[in-house]
Order: sequence, then structure tokens, then C-alpha cells
Amino acid sequence: MASTNAPAAEYAGDEVSAIVLDPGFSTIRAGFAGEDVPKSVCPSFFGYTDAESDSKSQFLFGENAIHTPQANLQIKNYWGSDGIVEDWDAATKVWEYAITSRLTSTKPSNPLQNGLNEGSNGNGDTMDVDIENVEQAEKPLEDSPLLMTEPGWNSSKAREKCIEIAMEEWGAPAFYLQKTGVLAAFASGKASGIIIDIGASHTSVTPVLDGMVLRKGVQKSPLAGNFVSNQIRMLFKQSQPEIPLTPHYTVKSKVQVDAGAPSQATYKTFDLPPTDSFRRLEEERVLTEFKESVVEVWPGPQRFNMGPSEEIAKNQPGRPFEMPDGWNQVFTADRFRVAEGLFDASAALVDSDNPRPKDEHTISRLVQAAVQQVDADHRPMLLGNVVVTGGSSLLYKLNERLTQEINTIYPSTRNKLIAPGSVVERKYAAWIGGSILASLGSFHQLWISKKEYEEHGASIVEKRCR
Amino acid sequence: MASGRDVRDMLGLPMGGDAPKAAQKSRPKPATGVRRPQGVAREVAALYGERPPPVAIYEEKKTYRAKRQSTGPAKKWVQQPFTNQARSDGLVLRHWRRKPTTAPPITSGEDTVMEDSESSEPYIESNGDFMKYNIEVEVPQFTDEEYDAHLRSNDWGREETDYLFQKIKDYAFRWAVIWDRYDFQAERPQPPQDDANGDSTALATLPFAPAKARTVEDLKARYYDIAAKIMKLRIPEVQMDAEQFAQYDLLTKFNPDLERNRKTLAAALMNRNMDEVKEEEFLLTELQRINMAANRLDAERDELRARLEAPAPQKPVEPGLTAFPSSQQLATLFNQLFQQDKSKKRAPGNGPAGRLSLSANEMVATPGSAQQQQMAAANRRQSVAQPPPQTPIRQLAPQQEIRFNVSTHDRLTSGVSFGSDKLLKMRQAKSNVQTQKIAAALAQLSIPEIIPIPTSKVGDVFEALIGKVGKLLDVRKVREKEEGECRVLEAMKTRRASESQAGAGDASNVNDSSANYTPAKSEVADSQDTPDVDGDGEDDGDDGDNDGGEGDGDADVDAEGEEDDDEDAEGEDADTSAAQSERRGSTSTRAVSAGHKRSASVLSQASSKSNKRLRK
Ligand SMILES: Nc1ncnc2c1ncn2[C@@H]1O[C@H](COP(=O)(O)OP(=O)(O)OP(=O)(O)O)[C@@H](O)[C@H]1O
Ligand SMILES: [Mg+2]
Repeated sequence: MASTNAPAAEYAGDEVSAIVLDPGFSTIRAGFAGEDVPKSVCPSFFGYTDAESDSKSQFLFGENAIHTPQANLQIKNYWGSDGIVEDWDAATKVWEYAITSRLTSTKPSNPLQNGLNEGSNGNGDTMDVDIENVEQAEKPLEDSPLLMTEPGWNSSKAREKCIEIAMEEWGAPAFYLQKTGVLAAFASGKASGIIIDIGASHTSVTPVLDGMVLRKGVQKSPLAGNFVSNQIRMLFKQSQPEIPLTPHYTVKSKVQVDAGAPSQATYKTFDLPPTDSFRRLEEERVLTEFKESVVEVWPGPQRFNMGPSEEIAKNQPGRPFEMPDGWNQVFTADRFRVAEGLFDASAALVDSDNPRPKDEHTISRLVQAAVQQVDADHRPMLLGNVVVTGGSSLLYKLNERLTQEINTIYPSTRNKLIAPGSVVERKYAAWIGGSILASLGSFHQLWISKKEYEEHGASIVEKRCR
Repeated sequence: MASGRDVRDMLGLPMGGDAPKAAQKSRPKPATGVRRPQGVAREVAALYGERPPPVAIYEEKKTYRAKRQSTGPAKKWVQQPFTNQARSDGLVLRHWRRKPTTAPPITSGEDTVMEDSESSEPYIESNGDFMKYNIEVEVPQFTDEEYDAHLRSNDWGREETDYLFQKIKDYAFRWAVIWDRYDFQAERPQPPQDDANGDSTALATLPFAPAKARTVEDLKARYYDIAAKIMKLRIPEVQMDAEQFAQYDLLTKFNPDLERNRKTLAAALMNRNMDEVKEEEFLLTELQRINMAANRLDAERDELRARLEAPAPQKPVEPGLTAFPSSQQLATLFNQLFQQDKSKKRAPGNGPAGRLSLSANEMVATPGSAQQQQMAAANRRQSVAQPPPQTPIRQLAPQQEIRFNVSTHDRLTSGVSFGSDKLLKMRQAKSNVQTQKIAAALAQLSIPEIIPIPTSKVGDVFEALIGKVGKLLDVRKVREKEEGECRVLEAMKTRRASESQAGAGDASNVNDSSANYTPAKSEVADSQDTPDVDGDGEDDGDDGDNDGGEGDGDADVDAEGEEDDDEDAEGEDADTSAAQSERRGSTSTRAVSAGHKRSASVLSQASSKSNKRLRK
């Protein structure tokens, strides 16, 4: 019997099988609170087939479905360009998929719900029917309170929408919204700090004090993973000769060729070629590979296009990259150039579609702007706790450069960068923080319960999730 | 299983006779080498190679493992629904709990309940474990009347004040957050229309005046002001206890302008550029360096003083570690020894140091070393408890000592000194005049100013010589004095003879001398009473005098304190010099004053001197 009383002093956890949902532009992370990695990581992109014959099977979710070439398959993302959800219907569906496919699928025997048979052509009809049935019978979150994350600049309309979805569509017994910045700080064991989150669509800088976002200081900019991807695209286009960006699905078989030589692969042929949006998504995968293995941030101390930096870079050993079709080359100075725009707007590659980024959008300027908005008394403390997170912060040497930049701006404070070493912790920091928060016994009094929601309406989220 | 045979097989190497040999070879190995820890696969153990594993491996013995207590079948756990006592809405969540075993009927009922997903009356736990974290801050409350009577402000409306207090409560006095979230909208005339508009841009364009932009200091000032006033209303100032009053005092003392200034300064401090920071850093290191140097200097001085004072004979002679109770002292000792060792190595063979301490290898080279070693060995055999033998001191024959230029000292001064310095010091006497006299005497003996090779022997001889010169000078002084007295007496005698009829002459002489004596005396008193009133307006005129007096006084004291004999001589010396200066009628006030003083002291000591002379 004694063991039933939780030793609250040491371990303040009290797990209520809450679900933590951390939607991002590139992936949605979902999992049970108290675990250390999200069980379910789904792409935020979803497939959409134009209704040709039957108007029912319109959406395709999940890694397996959206990466299978298919005629008429449009790839979309529910995020708006301002970092706030735009397509709420799609968002609801994608999120629900992320939750139900791995976490709360009620009957393991039901093969239509376990996410393994997604996109199989014959089952389309029955699957939809079944999902509807299930939804009528029981909502996906009947048993689990839901903790959702939101970007620091989320509009109050979007927040209310979130609680509406959770309460009404999913039937969650309780709900809470927390900002990604705060949660990422929690994941690093900090209650205060400046959180630099370099994701896919946006880079954000969030000052957090005692677990609360200082809203005036929140900064965001579009210079993040996608920006780097576009830089790489431009690099490929502008090289002489142009570097062909070939996604995997187009290649049937490849042969080894010399560096720089044109590829001699045999390509697949499609009756109806996949859409441009599909190709773009697939290209993005190759670009992510390129980012992971080739791109490097110029570590400083000088900017890349200043002084001898470029010369030094040229003399460093290059890194090879091979396209899916066998084309390969060693990249030397160029691999620094594509990431330099994150810190130095004037160094960014430009073309007609990609204008020069704004100076105030570079990461260093964001940090500066964020710090400027904080009370002078707290600035040194916050600068001593700079947490770096987000998938694109994994760019090689990014931390060195960031340290360098911050130290240049604030030479008189003790600046300390906290960047989790492991890839998982860096990519899923916000989710992990949510997992910690939602499994705390003391957190359970903060939930907005269904009853409260019904009493006060959706606006309660503004009052409670501060 | 996976033996060398298999490996060979895999690699396609010839098998045959080699394989069993290898097996044989490998067999004895584990016996001789480190035993393979149990529970580690052989392949893994082989990876360690010959060396010990990089991490210590503790074999878990079965005996250490606590026996698993099997008290019946596996305990059941249930997802127990519970309400949180910190909540008022009765939200029911579920967490895993041991299924209660004490009440079988309930358990069975609950079991079914779980299955049916709470159809009937389930047991709901009421959980207050985390109530203690539910902390609300207290902000002062006030009524409308109180507000109207005391708390009105031109700058703040009632509504905004309430809003501020609400925010303070919400964010528990985190002023930075309060300020960040502070977004007071003056009362909206048409709320419904507002809702209809729905977005914030419309709000901003509405005609009424925008809310004032408040700084943190404004907010704080308002709150502290109200808090102080309410505190005073609740408890009159006189009734406050110390703590309350301190708080009240703090609340009333808040000055937003000061705070603002402080913050701009803080911000400026933070926004310094690299050069300024570098400069500050440089200055700070400089300061540190200076401080360290000062400390070192102080320490050196202290050491010097300690050396000059008592030689500390009570130090335990007994060797060993007891003399160094603290590890720090031990460390310094070690350092000293290390330094000595180093310096010895740097200058081998040339050993001006007094104590001849030989290191082990030197001992081997010396003829007596064999014996020494034997002794040491004997010692070792004799008893283990004996303290380690001290550094051996070798006795040398006097001849050898001279030959090797070895000398022994009771006490060594630290550092290096030059023999020439020593010689130079000997030339110096307590007073300038004496020094000059010595110099003159040496010159007479045609001893050069600088002696070419000031070996210690030369030093000894020179010392003896100087001693003799000093004595001679003393004797000469005494003689001169005696002669002078004789002259005086003779003069007196002649005077008395000339004025034999009148006896007043004696008295006048006494008066004369006393007149001569008094002012000097007073001067001495002056200088002793207030040694540091040099610049006092009082005796501006005879500043120089005073100085001189003071200096002389010092010298006097020194002389008296240290050597009696010398004092005697010096007194006479001063006397003679005074006499000379008087005779010369020198105009230098300083000299005159010295003369006065000297003569005074001489007069005051006249009796003792005469006593001494008598003794002699
Ligand atoms: N090892 C890596 N090196 C460089 N970039 C990477 C690496 N791994 C992932 N990325 C990039 O990180 C981005 C995804 O990061 P993350 O999952 O933090 O974004 P998100 O949270 O989904 O998006 P956002 O925060 O913008 O909403 C992608 O653009 C991806 O290309
Ligand atoms: Mg993100």
C-alpha cells in the first residue's frame, strides 16, 4: 500500500497518459507524456488527390502515402506563410492522423487504423467509412488530456481554434496550450533563457522568464531550413554546368560516374507524371540529405565574404555528394555559401523568386532584437542561457558561428549556448519539454477541463494558457 | 564455438594441424593472464586485449542480489481515476495505481468498472499530493472608500489600478512579465461593436485615446505606493514591528527615477563595445597584477619583520611532518625544497650555502658514503617506527672546511648578498660623523674604498679591523673630551683666580648653562610629545628645528635601545660636534638645533656619564 503514495518530494511526476502534440512545418510530433521521444513523427505535408471519379478519397497522410508517386497527387502543407495554421480542416486531419496512427488506435486488430495500410489503393472506401464510424462511436482522445504546442506568435484566433478541435472534435477531457519556446527550455532543464529555434519554415527567438514567454521579445524570421534548401537549389541552378537535382523516385537504376560527369542513370517513366508539388517534396528530401552531409556554417570569426575566409574555405577538404542518379561532386567553398545567409543577408544567393533576405531577419539580429525588448536587469541572465533547438540547428558548425555572433554583439556578458548534443533532443526539444510538463503532478491543476471549456467557451484559453 | 577454426574457415585460410595448436595455445592463456570476467562473452572479452578493461568491471555475485520477494501472484495495477484537490471543477484524470488488495469486493467491482469504462459508481481517488505547489501570492486589498479617500492618482484610474493588481496576482510579482503582458485598454464604450469588428487593427483605429505606455518603474511605483498606503492604514506606523516597518520603509522609499537611471546604466554597461570591454579587462588584469604584487611585497616584508624579531626558538626541533600541521604548510615546504634543489642543480659544485646537505647521488660519490649507507641501512633495520633520518650533516675537518670554503651559520638570511655589500655596511657607523671618521682612518691606512675580492675571510679580517678602528676612535674621543674638560676647568680656575673676591661668578655660570639648556629641553619635549605635528601652524617658524630634533631623537632612542657602549660614544661625539659647531658659530639652524639638543641630552646624562667615568 505504501508504494501507492507517490514520493512527491523527489519525483513530482504523476502520469495521466496525456498526449503531447507538437506540430511543426516539416513534421508533427506526437506521443505520450512521460516518454522521452515522441512515438509518432509524421510529415506535416499531406497528399491531396483531385477528385476525378470518386470524391471521397481525397487526403493521404503519413510517410508511406505521400512519398509514393501517384498521378494527380498534390502535396500540400496546412501551415500559412506567417507561421500560423492556415488550413484548419487539413490540420485537424493531419494531427488526428499523427495521434491515432500510433498512439490511440483503439483496436490493434483493426488494420485500417494502425497506419500500416495507408495509401493502399483498394481500401480507400472502406477505410473512410470505418473512420467515420469510429469517430461517431468514440472520439480519438476520449481518455487522454492533450497538451499542444504553439509558436510564440500564435494568434488568439488560432489558439481558440486549437481548443475547439481538441474538445469538440477529439473529445479530450482536458487541454492545454504551451509555447514551443518554453517547452524547449524545459527540455534543457531551464526555466529562463533565450530560445533560438531554427526549424523548417521559421527561425524564432523567444525570451523566456520563469517559464513564461516575454511576448514583446518574441522574434521570428523565415530564414530557416527551407531558406537553406532554397539557397541550395539556387546554388545548383547557378553552377556551371547546372547541377541536376534528381529525386529518388525518378531513378530506376544508376551507374557510377566520375565526379562532375553527367549521370548515366536510367530513369523511370510515368504515364501521368507526378505533380510539381510532389516533385518538390521529393527534392526537399534530397536537399535535407545534402544539408545533413555537406552544408557547413562558416564558423567565423569573420564573415564568409569578408577577408580571407573564402580562401581558407577553398583550401579545406571538400565534401562529396552523390545525387540519387549517380551524379557526384566534391563541394568546397560552396557548402559554406548556402548557409551564410542565415547570418549575413548580403551573402545570400538571390534570384528572381528569392529576393535578398532582410538584414533584421538574420539570426544574430533576431537575438539582438529579442534581448532589446527584455528588461535590462534580466538580459545578462538570459544571455547566459541561450538554448538552441530545431532541426536546422543541426547544420554543422552552426553553434560555433552562433556563439561567435552573440559574443560579438554582447562582448561584456557571459553568454552561454546550450545545445543538446543528441539529434533527437535537438529536433524534438519542444515535444520533450511538453512530455516533461504534462507528466508533472503539479501541472494537472492547470489543465483546462472540458467542463471549464463548456462553461466559458473557447476564449478561456487566452486566460489560462498565458 | 566460434573458434579460430571457424575464422579460418571464413577467411579461407588453410586449416589442418595449425588449428588444434592454436586452440592449445589459447587455453593456458586465460589462466596466466587476467581471468575473463564472468558473464562477458568471450568475443567481447577478447576485444579488451591484454590490457585491463577501460572501465572497472565488478562481477555481480549472486549472493549480493537481494532476493526477489515473491509474495503471491503479481500485483495488479489499475488506471485509477482521481480528482485533483487543487481544482474546483472536478476534472477526473487517471493515473496508474496499485490495485488495492485489502478490500476484495471493491476491487472486483472496480475491475468490472474499468472494463465498462466507468458506467456505475467508480471509486474516485481524491489527490492532494501536489496541492502544496498551488501557491497564490497576496496583494493588498482595498475597498472603494479606501481607494477614494487615499489612493487616487492623477495618472492612474481605478480601473487600471485594478487591472495592475490583477496582473500582479496573475504573474506573482514577476515584474518583467507583468510589464511584458501589460496591455490595459481603457474602457471600451461599445463592447458589442468591438466584438463585431473582431480584429485588433480596428481596435487601434478607434477614436479613444490609446493607453499610456507604462514602464516597469511606473507599474512598480504605483503598486508600492498603494501597498505602503494600505499598510499604513491597516497598521499605524507606530504599531509596526521592526520587520513590518522595514518593509514599509522599503515601499515608501521606492524611487522610479533612480531605478530608471540605474537601468539605463545597466543597459549601457551591457552595450559596451568590444574595445571598451577589452580595455576594462586589461585594466582589471592590471589591477589584479598590482594587487598581487602588493600582496607579495607585504608578505615579503612580513617575513622580513618576522626574521628581524625573535628567532622563534620554541619551534619544535623534532623533525618529521609534525612541524607542518597543515597541508598548506607542507606544500610550501615542498616548494622550498624543490626550489633549493633546483638552484643547486643550476649551480653545481659552487656551494656558498652554510649547511652542507648532500643529496643521495652526491653521497654516493663521496668517500664516506659507504659508511653512511650502512648506517642508514642499520637504522632501517633497527626500527621501522623511527622517523626518517634527517638530511645528513657531514663533519669536515677544519682544513677541509677552508679548502672547500664551507662555513656554518646558526641562522641564514634569505636571499643572496654580496660580500662587497657587507664590507660597505661595516664602513657605515651610526652617525655620519663617525662614518667619516672611520673613512678617514681607513684612508690613512690606505685601504681602498672598494676591496677587490671580498671573500668571507677578507670580510672577517675587515670586520676585525673596523672594530679596532672604532675602538681607537672611541679612545680618541674620550681623550679629547678629557682634554676639553681639563681646559674648561683650567679656564674656570683662572677666572676664579681673577675674580676671587666675588663668589657670584659661579652662579652666573650656572645660570648661563641653564639658559643654554632650557629651550633645547623644550624642543625635545615637543618632538617627543607630538612626533607628527610637523606642519602645525603653532611652530611654523622652527619647522626645520623640529625636524632636526625629531630625527636626532630617533637616533638617540635607537642608540639607547641597542647598544649601551655605542650610545656613550655617540653622545660624546655629538657633544664634541656640538661644541665644534658652537665654536664655529655656524649659522645653520639645523646644526644649531642639533647642537642644542645634543648638549641638552649630554647635560641631562651628565650624571650617568660621570658615574661611568668614575667606574672606568
Ligand atoms: N541534420 C540536419 N542538418 C541540417 N538540417 C536538418 C537536419 N535535420 C533536419 N534538418 C532540417 O530541419 C528542418 C526541420 O526541423 P524541425 O523539425 O525543427 O522543424 P519544424 O519544427 O517541423 O518546423 P517549424 O519549427 O518551422 O514549424 C527541415 O528543414 C530539415 O531539412
Ligand atoms: Mg519547430
